[in-house]
Amino acid sequence: MICRPECSSQEYVRNSYMHEIRIAEDLKAIVLEAAEKASLSVVTRVDVNFGQLIQIVPDIFEFAFRETVRNTIAENAEVIIEIIPVRLKCMNCGKVLHSNEFQFVCHECGSTDMKIINGKELFVKSIEGE
Amino acid sequence: MEIKIMKNILDRNQNKANEVRGMLAGKNVIMVNIISSPGAGKTTLLERTCERFGTEFRLGVVEGDVTTDRDAQRLKKYGIPIVVINTEGGCHLDSYSISKVLNFFDLDNLDMLFVENVGNLICPTQFDLGETFKLAVVSTTEGDDKPAKYPMLFREAKAVILNKIDLLPYTNFSLENFRSDLFNLNPGIPLFELSCTGSDGLDSWYKWILEQISNH
Repeated sequence: MICRPECSSQEYVRNSYMHEIRIAEDLKAIVLEAAEKASLSVVTRVDVNFGQLIQIVPDIFEFAFRETVRNTIAENAEVIIEIIPVRLKCMNCGKVLHSNEFQFVCHECGSTDMKIINGKELFVKSIEGE
Repeated sequence: MEIKIMKNILDRNQNKANEVRGMLAGKNVIMVNIISSPGAGKTTLLERTCERFGTEFRLGVVEGDVTTDRDAQRLKKYGIPIVVINTEGGCHLDSYSISKVLNFFDLDNLDMLFVENVGNLICPTQFDLGETFKLAVVSTTEGDDKPAKYPMLFREAKAVILNKIDLLPYTNFSLENFRSDLFNLNPGIPLFELSCTGSDGLDSWYKWILEQISNH
């Protein structure tokens, strides 16, 4: 990343990448930290959950993760990606809806006060190793 | 051996975003994260907004661009502080990049900081910058299906600008479909249908921005 204050001087601050790569890099940091804490010598499996609304492409993510963990104890880890479907809760009548259409209107009572319960996940569940 | 983690992968970005948000709140600065496809009219919107408010309020701009400082050059004439962030291929800004460039602004003398994110409707939505609110900009030439295809942005934005409304007769854009998809996702969200190169609809946008500054 180059930063140019007032369009003139240049300063290199840090790099930023495609979002799958950036997320993979942050995941790598979390995985390696947890592995070190547990004194693992190898990480064999990483389980992650991505909400449907986050629009992560699993293949690209897996490729990005593979690249970022090269030459680390997680380099051969299997990545299990679970995509979490969208679930909405009506804050008026309490009805829980499974929505693929992203319609934020309650089928039961017509309220538009809907809360997203699932679909925005972007988290690492667990790792396995020895 | 299995180790439970249950941690948000973007925790690091989120923590820095919270820090930025706190800092801006302390200085009473509104930060607007502008998200759109390339060519929707973010820079032209900023030109009009700077023309209208550049002397009345203390504005600043962060220009996020993959490469070049062309957008910043266009805004230079308004005499406001501008910082360019070239992501060199990166498709979004993150809270770390914003945190670094805040040092270039005199936050004690700033009312509103516009961040023109990299042109993209998916990635920038996932990286909280610490903004006060997100603004989605779309244009009639892109087609009316954007809210349906990119629901997160339109769900999270505080307002939506539909630009190039003057070109409507030359496109197959259906205002009815667009409004219906948008309001299904985010009922009651303010929608400004305008033309940044003409004058159609700009007054209601200016009025809304004025309200944001007055009510802050």
